[in-house]
Amino acid sequence: MKVLVIEDEKELSDSICAYLANEQFVCERTLDFDSSMEKILLYDYACIILDVNLPGGSGLDILKELKNLNKTDGVLIISARNSLDDKVFALKTGADDYLTKPFHLAELAARVNAIIRRKSFEGKNEISCNELRLDLAEKNVKVHDGPVDLTRKEYELLLYFISNKNRVISKNAIAEHLWGDSMDVADNYDFIYTHIKNLRKKLIQAGAADYIKSIYGMGYKFNV
Amino acid sequence: MKLFTKYNRVNLVATIIIFLLSSTAFYFAIRYILINQVDDDLRIEQREIETYVKEHNTLPESISVKDQNISYVLSDTYLQKRKFETIAGNKIDAKEKDLYRILQFGVIANGKIYLATVAKSLEGADDLTHSILLISSATILLILAASFLINSVLLKRLWKPFYNSLDVLKNFRVDKSQSLNFPTTQIDEFAFMDQIIQKTTNQAQQEYSLLKEFTENASHEMQTPLAIIRSKLDLLLQDENLSEGQSKTMQSAYSAIEKLSRLNQSLLLLAKIENNQFAETSLINLKQKLEEKLDAFHELWQNQSISVSSSLVDSNVNLNSELTDILLNNLLSNATRHNFSNGYINVVLKEKMIEISNSSREKELNSQQMFLRFFSQDKKSRYNGLGLSIIKQICDVSGFSIRYLFTGNEHRFILSW
Repeated sequence: MKVLVIEDEKELSDSICAYLANEQFVCERTLDFDSSMEKILLYDYACIILDVNLPGGSGLDILKELKNLNKTDGVLIISARNSLDDKVFALKTGADDYLTKPFHLAELAARVNAIIRRKSFEGKNEISCNELRLDLAEKNVKVHDGPVDLTRKEYELLLYFISNKNRVISKNAIAEHLWGDSMDVADNYDFIYTHIKNLRKKLIQAGAADYIKSIYGMGYKFNV
Repeated sequence: MKLFTKYNRVNLVATIIIFLLSSTAFYFAIRYILINQVDDDLRIEQREIETYVKEHNTLPESISVKDQNISYVLSDTYLQKRKFETIAGNKIDAKEKDLYRILQFGVIANGKIYLATVAKSLEGADDLTHSILLISSATILLILAASFLINSVLLKRLWKPFYNSLDVLKNFRVDKSQSLNFPTTQIDEFAFMDQIIQKTTNQAQQEYSLLKEFTENASHEMQTPLAIIRSKLDLLLQDENLSEGQSKTMQSAYSAIEKLSRLNQSLLLLAKIENNQFAETSLINLKQKLEEKLDAFHELWQNQSISVSSSLVDSNVNLNSELTDILLNNLLSNATRHNFSNGYINVVLKEKMIEISNSSREKELNSQQMFLRFFSQDKKSRYNGLGLSIIKQICDVSGFSIRYLFTGNEHRFILSW
């Protein structure tokens, strides 16, 4: 699957590509407005990660052009501007999601995955990972076809892990994913620990392998 | 005290003192002159008597006229020097109570020594003194009253431009861009004052907006480097060869970055509120909003064994939806953070009031400083000290008043509108 990263900050663009470049994704990058326009005209992408402030023009104009061309590429806007108006405008124009800088790469990966899932598995809203099967519409989980009773937060956590398979996710990124940055209690790591402990226990009890590993107390990894 | 009152008071006291001093001096001066006059008359009388005695060697007949008495008394010694004296009552007629000026001198007639006394009533002189005093005091009182009236009317009129300027200045806000408009005045001093105030306030507004812009730009510019650092840390974390020590170092860097980006976001939010970027309001169902928040926090509270009780009634208020979210989130986050396990949180919503109280082991907040930016009771606190100033700022723009109460081990925040 091809992903296009349109971001003028080369360092950030490097990080995004390095994180996303696994067996699933092939990353292409452009750093300015004109070369981005060229790329979107010539190729189709599963998802386009689009910065709003670009040298030579606005990312929102690229978004409008995509819609004019009736392209179905998924679009994730990344912007330094954290304003509801901007968010609403971008989503109305046809973006699939909006992420405010600074963000965790795990969060970005989860959002990109979600966009691609929505675009490509129409009707079949399911992810499987070995013996695990997640129903995205019903928001439930099955292990070896047997249901597992997870709380809402535990389900979100599992989905987040599966979107970041074999990656170490920091506690900070998990806290922010579960609580959002508006609730200013995100540094409550004990709480995350409890959630992960419960999730692990429930999955193992249901007969799944022990996928979640703690990494020196600084984060967790979903090993497949 | 008003300037007029102060001025009038000083003016009045000074005038009265001068008036008292001058009328006393005036009184004594007139008296001195009048007594001198009487003394001259008495001396003339003495000369007449002496001339008579020299010519006739006998005493003249003592004739008493209305305000003049002459009497002779046999004496053993001859009074060499004549003697003036002022006495009350008449030596001749004891019933008289008026003041008399008397002249005593020795006379030798028929070989006998007499003491002659000539007395002259001072009644006329006194009358004159009194009338002069009366007229002068009446004049001074009149002048006093007139100056008081003129001063108050004139001063009021003279100071009018000053009060006009004050009125204009009262509406001055450093965060508003419009400059002050003073009414024109003919008085140079006031025009000068207005000019200086205008210049100073314009400068203050300009500097304030520059500073605000700077904070905003700085925060914006910081977003990208922050994003880069965070992404690099996320990548570094994937390195399987990291030792435990390196991981710990990274965790510290992570936490610091986290804190910095939250701080930055808070500053941006404050700048946006100040810039009125949340002016759009709609009718918000606070009960529904609070229920949503209570639901979102529910798991967290359960995890920390914090018991929550709420009593909510319907309340619809015109507010900005985004700000309301932030406000309630901050209030509830505070109540959670400064709590302890097995503690409690009470949420009360009435038609015109929200009250959120929580148990806490922390001491009372300094109500003078708690809403200041970067204020933190405990210097080692891991929070940035912007939460309460954001709450206050949102209350200010939403027309809420906020009160903080501390009783026992309970912190209470009461918002009313």
